[in-house]
Amino acid sequence: MSQDVRTRPTESGDRESLDGLDDLDGGGSVAASDVLDRLWRFFISMRTGLVLILGLGLLSLIGTLLVQAPAGMTTDPAAYTSWVASIHSKYGGWTPVFDKLGFFSVFTSIWFKAITVLLTTSVLACSVNRAPRLWKIAFHPRTRMGETFFTHAALRANILVATGPDTAMDNVREVLKSHRFRTISDPDDNGLNLYADRFRWGPFGTVVAHLSFVIILLGFFLSATTGFKDTQFVAPVGSKVQVGHGTGLTVEAKSFNDAYYPDGSPSDYVSDLVVYKNGVAVDRQSVRVNHPLTWDGVSFYQSFFGTAAAMKITDAAGKTLYNDAAALQWQSDDGKHSIGQIDMKAAGLSVYVIVAASGKPDPNIKAGQVQLEIHQNGTDAPIATQVVDQGKPSTIAGVTYTFERTRQYTGLIVARDPGAMWVWVGSTLLVLGLFLVFFFPHRRVWVRIRKTSGGTEILCASTMKRDVAFEPQFHQLVTDIQLAGTPSSTTQEVGQNDA
Amino acid sequence: MLKYSQYSLIASLMLVVLALVCYVLVLTLKKSVRQAPAMAQAGVGARTSVDDDDVLDDDVDGGQRATVAPVVTSRPRALALYGTHFTRVALVFLTACLVFRTIAVGHGPFSNQYEFSVSFGWGMIAAYVYFEHRYHVRTIALLILPLTTGLLLYALSVGATANPLVPALQNNLLLTIHVAVAIIAYGAFSVSFAAACLYLIQPEGGRRGLPKPAVLDELGYRAVIIGFPLLTLVVVLGAVWAQIAWGTYWSWDPKETASLLTWLVYGAYLHARVARGWVGRRAAWLLVAGFASVLLTFFGNLFFGGLHSYAK
Ligand code: HEM
Repeated sequence: MSQDVRTRPTESGDRESLDGLDDLDGGGSVAASDVLDRLWRFFISMRTGLVLILGLGLLSLIGTLLVQAPAGMTTDPAAYTSWVASIHSKYGGWTPVFDKLGFFSVFTSIWFKAITVLLTTSVLACSVNRAPRLWKIAFHPRTRMGETFFTHAALRANILVATGPDTAMDNVREVLKSHRFRTISDPDDNGLNLYADRFRWGPFGTVVAHLSFVIILLGFFLSATTGFKDTQFVAPVGSKVQVGHGTGLTVEAKSFNDAYYPDGSPSDYVSDLVVYKNGVAVDRQSVRVNHPLTWDGVSFYQSFFGTAAAMKITDAAGKTLYNDAAALQWQSDDGKHSIGQIDMKAAGLSVYVIVAASGKPDPNIKAGQVQLEIHQNGTDAPIATQVVDQGKPSTIAGVTYTFERTRQYTGLIVARDPGAMWVWVGSTLLVLGLFLVFFFPHRRVWVRIRKTSGGTEILCASTMKRDVAFEPQFHQLVTDIQLAGTPSSTTQEVGQNDA
Repeated sequence: MLKYSQYSLIASLMLVVLALVCYVLVLTLKKSVRQAPAMAQAGVGARTSVDDDDVLDDDVDGGQRATVAPVVTSRPRALALYGTHFTRVALVFLTACLVFRTIAVGHGPFSNQYEFSVSFGWGMIAAYVYFEHRYHVRTIALLILPLTTGLLLYALSVGATANPLVPALQNNLLLTIHVAVAIIAYGAFSVSFAAACLYLIQPEGGRRGLPKPAVLDELGYRAVIIGFPLLTLVVVLGAVWAQIAWGTYWSWDPKETASLLTWLVYGAYLHARVARGWVGRRAAWLLVAGFASVLLTFFGNLFFGGLHSYAK
């Protein structure tokens, strides 16, 4: 019995093209005669893909290292200018350069969009280009190989057995089957040929991974262009607040509670939320951090909380202008006061409600008091500023203001994001695709069996492109084939005695 | 419990340093053995050609080879074996450290920089032990063990105080999987980093005493094959968590952006490995860049803020 297994390192490469799989840089046979053809070859080139991926990486690096402008800032030129001025101390003379290049909002910059579009095109082109070949390899594989393949393949073995060719073929097939290989036999003039493979679905993982990447990008695009996200949604406890954005939903916080660890750090925030559709209660849930309420695609997330001032405002005729709670959700620049705002468009008035911030007592605004700053719309200076006591109506310029009491409010993020679903679908496929590619590599073995003077010669060969883990398995296969072809008289060599 | 956790950490750190000392000694001893041809000759019977691929990798653990050949006891070999054992015991102690910590604080060890660092260190040693076992390339220890030592020392320097979990971190299962998977992915990436470094310091065709470039290339790739799908899972789980906690699956927070960068670099590497002109050295450089990005992601929140900054 002779066994001759040779292994060549993958790097020295087996350049013999088996099925065009080696040539990842696009087919070279077509002459670059016209623009479309050139474009196509540009997009299916591995180097193009590589450069684009690295380009995206470079932008991510910039986005990681440089401060990014807050979302929405770029649409407000005045705010953006003052923001850029505020970071000047950090980047000095580079600030205008980075600004010109769009580096402070890398992920909405023209660079980012351009690379994403090019990359998507390239991924799609690559997939379209390769899918037919993958299909052919999986379902119409080449079942015979030329003589040189058996003398040059990365993994190969010559086995001599004493049995006849047909028995040898049966044995080989049995061994491969027991290793869960699919086998296809294909005899020709030169002898018996056998093709065997495993995990032929594996390579489709690349197609799945590529397409899922496109699906994720599509999801990002949908998220950016459709739906809404309100990060400053305030619901004073006991008030019904409209969600807007065409949802027809109203939300009411029945209660809000915050809990703390003994060291003072927060342990829990929870709002008891009721959702109304056209006035009818449709859902109710305790919403806490990490436990949002979702109804009809609209989600409510616990985000922040604070105090609100319940106010009643009536005009001279006794008509109610406002009867609700104003969330004291802003801080004054010096951090000493919390401020809420009441807009009464019909009356042409807007009112700031001001209290001392917690832990910052103000002798002018005591507990149980609020300061009102009343503005006539269209004028800059307030028409009146007055401190009022809880429960005592005060009439200012013909309008009566009553500070009833303080209430808690809960701050929510309210969002509808039709793109998210696609992101989850794409992500799931991406992970599945990757596991398919890496953990189920397509393994192929070609076998040729022919009669020689001494018995039967079995030639086995396999490529080992990027799959060294297959090497020991191949050796095991060869050993098993050898054992299967060993006549009982020589089994002693492997330590068995069947006499 | 916290005390036991602390003791285990220190024990583990000492073992890692001891293992490193062993490996460095082997390296110096082997050099002197090589310079004395007569002595080297004595060992030849036991050697296969594989030995010259890797100074630290004698045939001690290649079961088959060891039984075929007469056992030759030389100091370097015994030392290398000690190195292996020390790293394994270090892994046991570090595991114990994390288990004690989990019991003591009542949640997985990933709520602050101390816990992250110890976990990252655990990932590195675990990945090293696994790949050493599978591929017998000990030389990568010369890069991985100093990195681990650095991380564990850093952990000790930031202090072990346990903080209660703020509400955003209380989604335990998701967070546990997210971080646990990240730790394994990062461990695997540190192996490919070490392999790439050893690849890059060699001239074309390799240098005597170091593992063959082809072997290192393969090792780097094997590690990425494990790390890349796991990193993908980490990023996806992070997005799920962000969606649940903050209402957005992606907000370009610096930590998210940095992990995207890491993902892209390793993605580029996978393609580089089959693209003409990128095979070999350039691919190896991408592994180095990828690991730099891992470190940026890991230490990033020390110098940039963002939603993840509670992890400080
Ligand atoms: C960022 C998006 C991309 C992802 C997530 C991705 C993912 C992958 C993965 C995981 C593999 C398998 C690698 C391996 O077997 O080692 C792969 C292979 C491949 N990718 Fe991509 N890729 C992306 C972009 C691209 C682009 C832009 C191109 C086109 C230039 C491309 C062309 C290819 C080709 C030709 C292969 C080899 C396929 C095969 O061996 O059957 N990829 N890709």
